[in-house]
Amino acid sequence: VTSDAEVVRRVRGGDTAAFAVLVARYRDRLGRYAMHMLGDRGDAEEALQDAFVRAYRSIARCRDDAEFGPWLFGILVNRCRTAGRRAARRQRMFVRDEVSLERASAPETADQAEWDDTVHWAMARIAPPLREAFLLKHVEDLEYDEMSRLTGAGVSALKMRVKRAREQLRALLTEVERV
Amino acid sequence: VFDRDEDVLERVIAHLRLPVEMDPTLDAAVMERVSAAGPTSRLAAAWEWFRRPREISVSPLGGLALAAVLAGVALWLVGRHPSAGSPSDTSNTIQFVVVAPGAGSVSLVGDFNNWDGTVTPMHATRSGTLWSVTVPLSPGRYRYAFLVNGSRWLADPAAPRAPDDFDAPSSVVTVGG
Repeated sequence: VTSDAEVVRRVRGGDTAAFAVLVARYRDRLGRYAMHMLGDRGDAEEALQDAFVRAYRSIARCRDDAEFGPWLFGILVNRCRTAGRRAARRQRMFVRDEVSLERASAPETADQAEWDDTVHWAMARIAPPLREAFLLKHVEDLEYDEMSRLTGAGVSALKMRVKRAREQLRALLTEVERV
Repeated sequence: VFDRDEDVLERVIAHLRLPVEMDPTLDAAVMERVSAAGPTSRLAAAWEWFRRPREISVSPLGGLALAAVLAGVALWLVGRHPSAGSPSDTSNTIQFVVVAPGAGSVSLVGDFNNWDGTVTPMHATRSGTLWSVTVPLSPGRYRYAFLVNGSRWLADPAAPRAPDDFDAPSSVVTVGG
């Protein structure tokens, strides 16, 4: 497998087509974050496309070729913030990811579909900065200093956001279970 | 019903970690937009070519002629030297100034030098407080920042901030025609 650094060098050298390797490599991983952050497949795909195109245009600014992945992720985090603000203005509600359900290889049970709805409903109820911190910490498995570099927020603020996200999610979901 | 509250969160996290499959046609859409942005990669290629070290042989007579041309260019630039500003614009020669007391080195990085910290070092005043450099720029809009001690990125406090997607802060200067 060609390393990111090697592909980045080829792209920098003028080999535009080589960028497709990076798109295929990071599409699903980054797509998952965008989906959970924005709660809407269309918005997520738009943010992801924008992130890739911006990364390409600015690839000369990627200071360490081997760190292309984290650098690209940082761009996506910012695109999601912008897209989230736009979506909030549209008053868009979180909806179940029907496309993903259709593509799932195993038929989904009613319970699984309900749980999927519930998780997305709860994620949509917590404030975007809390959702962002929760996803970076618990889903993307980042360390707090990495999160700090990506978001520009301090480590202690991020710890507080994760804590509050956990508390709010727990409260929301426990409430659902009791209904 | 969950046995413990923690189980709820563990179930949420496990669910959110499931792989998500994005539309594969997204790749083609991205590559179409990337291909349309071709000049950026050509610029990067040109820059790679330009910065590649190479040996140049110049005859003694050619050396004298080259020195004369360089001296002429330097005099022309000095003649257009603007007053202090941050940045100030006089006929496309821009002086960038930043206050960075105690810095060991400061360089100017931006769209015009491919964000390379080695290309445009700034020079300190005798007190080491004020750093400046003058660069010729074609008319256009440029993003730039100051690189302090080779690692700390600083936006120009005296200029508009660039709307940016990166962790490094930067500013904007517009050079008139």
